[in-house]
Amino acid sequence: MTGHYCDFKNADVILTSGSNNLENHPVSSKWVQRALDAGATWIVVDPRFTRTASQADIYCPIRPGTDIAFYGGMINYIIEKDLWQHEYVEHYTNATFIMDEGYSFDPETGFFSGWDESKKAYDKHTWHYQVESESEWDTSEGGSFAWVKDPGVPEFTPPKVQVARKDPTMQDPQCVWQLMKKHYSRYTIEKVCETCGMDEDTLIQVYEAYASTGAPEKAGTILYALGQTQHTYGTNNTRIMTLVQLLLGNVGVAGGGLNALRGEPNVQGATDMAMLVFDFPGYLRWPNVSESPNLRAWCESQTYYGGFYTNKPKFMVSALKEWFGEHATVENDYGYDWLPKIPKNGGDYTTMGTFHLMDAGTMKGYFAWGQNPVVSDPNSAFNRRAMANLEWLVVADWVETATASFWRAPDMKPEDIQTEVYFLPAALIYEKSGTIANSGRWLQWRYKAVEPVGEAKPDYEIADMLWTKIVELYKAEGGPSAESILNVKWDYYVDGKIDPRPVAWAFNGYKVASSDMKSAKMDLLPAFAQLKADGSTACAIWIYGGYYNNSDAPLDPAAQPVGRREHDDPGELGLYPKWAFSWPANRRIIYNRASADANGKPWNPKRVLVEWNGTEWATRNDVPDFVFQTANADGTNTPVAPNDNAFFMKPEQHANFISYGLADAALPEHYEPFESPTKNTFNALQNSPLMKFADHPSAKKGDFGEFPIVATTYSITEHWQTGAQTRMCPALNEIAPRQFIEMSMELAEEKGIKNGDEVIVWNNRGEVRLNALVTARFRPLTVNGETIHQVGMIHHWDWTNMFSTGEVVNDLTPNVGDPNSFIPEFKAFLVDVKKA
Amino acid sequence: MAEKAIMFDSSRCSACKGCQVACKTWNLLPSPIELNSQKWSGTLQNPPDLDENTRLVISFDEKPREKYGVDWAFGRRGCSHCTDAPCVQVCPSGCMHKDEETGFVIFDTDLCTGCQYCHMACPFDVPRYHNVGLSGYNITVNKCTACIDRVRNDRAPACVSTCQPGALMFGDRDEMLKIAHERVDLLKEKGFEAARVYGENEMGGLHTLRVLKYPIEQYGLPENPQTSPLLGAMGWMKPILGVGAVALVGGLGISFLTGLGYHRDEMRYDEVNHDIIDVDTGETIRHIDKEAGER
Repeated sequence: MTGHYCDFKNADVILTSGSNNLENHPVSSKWVQRALDAGATWIVVDPRFTRTASQADIYCPIRPGTDIAFYGGMINYIIEKDLWQHEYVEHYTNATFIMDEGYSFDPETGFFSGWDESKKAYDKHTWHYQVESESEWDTSEGGSFAWVKDPGVPEFTPPKVQVARKDPTMQDPQCVWQLMKKHYSRYTIEKVCETCGMDEDTLIQVYEAYASTGAPEKAGTILYALGQTQHTYGTNNTRIMTLVQLLLGNVGVAGGGLNALRGEPNVQGATDMAMLVFDFPGYLRWPNVSESPNLRAWCESQTYYGGFYTNKPKFMVSALKEWFGEHATVENDYGYDWLPKIPKNGGDYTTMGTFHLMDAGTMKGYFAWGQNPVVSDPNSAFNRRAMANLEWLVVADWVETATASFWRAPDMKPEDIQTEVYFLPAALIYEKSGTIANSGRWLQWRYKAVEPVGEAKPDYEIADMLWTKIVELYKAEGGPSAESILNVKWDYYVDGKIDPRPVAWAFNGYKVASSDMKSAKMDLLPAFAQLKADGSTACAIWIYGGYYNNSDAPLDPAAQPVGRREHDDPGELGLYPKWAFSWPANRRIIYNRASADANGKPWNPKRVLVEWNGTEWATRNDVPDFVFQTANADGTNTPVAPNDNAFFMKPEQHANFISYGLADAALPEHYEPFESPTKNTFNALQNSPLMKFADHPSAKKGDFGEFPIVATTYSITEHWQTGAQTRMCPALNEIAPRQFIEMSMELAEEKGIKNGDEVIVWNNRGEVRLNALVTARFRPLTVNGETIHQVGMIHHWDWTNMFSTGEVVNDLTPNVGDPNSFIPEFKAFLVDVKKA
Repeated sequence: MAEKAIMFDSSRCSACKGCQVACKTWNLLPSPIELNSQKWSGTLQNPPDLDENTRLVISFDEKPREKYGVDWAFGRRGCSHCTDAPCVQVCPSGCMHKDEETGFVIFDTDLCTGCQYCHMACPFDVPRYHNVGLSGYNITVNKCTACIDRVRNDRAPACVSTCQPGALMFGDRDEMLKIAHERVDLLKEKGFEAARVYGENEMGGLHTLRVLKYPIEQYGLPENPQTSPLLGAMGWMKPILGVGAVALVGGLGISFLTGLGYHRDEMRYDEVNHDIIDVDTGETIRHIDKEAGER
């Protein structure tokens, strides 16, 4: 999230789309209700009428997988009706920037400029700006980038500072504004309704209500979740919501933002820690063979010419210093070469690709640690069969999950499976201490409440046991990449026992020379601003800098920012700066420079995050997310007068409408899901040209002629994910005892199905039997002139559990995904349904 | 302590049923544990109704809207805690009684005779019983007590304490009524014409107040709840039944009945030896073997 849960209360309009926030994030209801009490309008856009929709002021249906059409139409509406926030767009975004002469999009082909058919990829050089001038970093003594020349800093050639050509009038036909305007002019109300399936009155009502937040003093927030992301163009779904928010001036203000409600208690923390293949902790990029085979190449390819990411070498060197400790020196590039490099086909090692590798017999062993892929991943039956090729499988979880028992799934033959399965009982969250990060980036220390049951152990203890044994074996027998293992610094012990507190020191960052983990004498860094690229500081994840920085009590989490529990609320905006710690730097609302106009005056005097009083940024209810002062040599500070650099995580320090950041589109463009009930009428391509894994034989694309019903999957509030935990709780089973498929009365009548009947749902990938829930909350939609039926299924069941069992709905979902995030398309696919 | 009330605002309820789970866990009420013993109810309302171990159910009712979606009414099935409580009037043994301070209707399991008259008298079809249909022995009443054990210790009832959207509130009845009326005014302003407060005067005034967003039929509540006409007949039987009850209690032995109740307050945990001790008898009920990982 750019904001946080409590901030929802400040919104004038709330738009829930691709999320069922009341059901799946119950705590959000508290803050949404407060907004409604203050007079806010709530819009819910969802294929079905959810419990969330039941409380909204406006409900608008939508066909699964057509969000880009919906939001593209909104952009067109906002621009046509002149409802955008002019000052915001002109000053803080790249609307005025002029794109490369070669940039274009051709609806006749569906491609952006630069498509290379032979490589099946975009050459993105035309997705950049025209450059007006270039200059060098000032690395001279006293210059802003003098640190580059400091002893110990790895050698690299700093990037050239580029100043883009701009047209402040935004009239140049090649400027971002004109290109975007032209791009979305094709997204007319009529066409959006034909594609998405809602009626025009409802759509206009939604557009009108949400576009009202383009008034400078108004704030609108978008709450989204997996309904947006789990598509073959999920990343572009997310991006197009950003475009809307920027047009309306809703990013960086209280009550605004683009707010991803994360699906698990600590999924934010997991993402911070780089659970994705291409990530390095703290949203840096993991080294890969083509772009960053050595440290110099990493620094040169990753360091931005401007903005805060000019500091990336400091983050990387400090991280390496933590990975490899005393072994990391400037002479050996701080051990960079010991890190494994992602190969050219890195996408093959993402979740779906992993099962392809098992299927091919390439991957022999697998750790399923706190995940349950034979139920939660798409095309689960294929995953189960692929797993049978494994020599060994390790599952760490707190119950015997379906993954741990994949060999005894109803469709498997245990006698044919040779896989050795090891089960490591893991402690539950309440049985271990450590930090948790919520969707709003708030990190909080939690204490162990009870001892783990039986032999269960915290994950970090399991990891330590494995690590210790692996190192012993390497020492005794040697092995491949021995240096990568044996040079690792692994000293996170207190009184000889693995402990999350030394890990917290490593995450926060410390001065190497004046710290000693063994004796718990730590010189912790106040914030990540103090990180150096010369090997004098160590920090495993720069974004957490400052969360555990009290060197006087390194063993006491309660004395650290992450342990705070105070309720102060300056500005009464629900910022609560002394409750827990919000990365980065305890900022509650990121990009908060944009909460004030070009002169530093807040758009809304009642929602002041920061304010320039003519001589300094005197009011700072939130931690400024921009350069608001510069430090002088004598210890004093000089205030920095307001400028337009509101987005200082971007090199040009302006938010991007057109961007070269994604693999598959410079501007989000509508493509149909892998399995779709209709033709794409926006351009000549049916699917995203870069959709991943569609050609793998296991995907078994279903045709609309054979499978005429659009299906989507989701969770209910009563159960959690694969149900492995919640089905173990009788009180939760009791309130949601059986799985079901929801369908409209019209479809039920057509198929002769009555409420409560058992039905068979099937496609090319699988078949499941479920009970029907026939309801008017589902309605058929008219799409491009045809009646389209849709059904929805919940996915919390499998064959395991002693209280409640069911079928694996993800046997039906396609294992295809997005080319940027590699997320699967759970949310839109085709099935047929009949009475059992 | 002033007269209290639980206020349920249906227009804020997200029907997550967290209140049902909180009720069960605080009051130590079991849920079914036989594999797949619960059948599909055809609705999100689960369990379908109150039962011997279920004191609270969120009800679901949907009425299709003209264009998209439904008028989805989330109701709260459970004891209304009437001022003129027929269950109290009809109870022969004094088991069902009013908590004078708060106005809540509570019961004393030890005194229950199993006559089930309270269910017959209840205009809301609320009280349920343990052990009905088995041997007929030890039938005891079960229904919402507004978590009187919590309330007497200055805590809100369990259901209220867990409610995220603030659909459940707890406080002085006057204050709750005021909030309920303000909410109804707002709902009417928003176009929910049938919005109303339920429980202000019904049965002499309920201690479970409700803000209804949609017409009353969608909540399964009686428009004008009345004491059952049977109550008059039961009234004259009461002295006879009372005598019977005493005999029954004597016959079965008090200690046996005591075992059926919920005796949270009468257990003590010995932190040093990890024993659970019965306060009355001093007997160790259970030893927790921490070394072996027991909890």
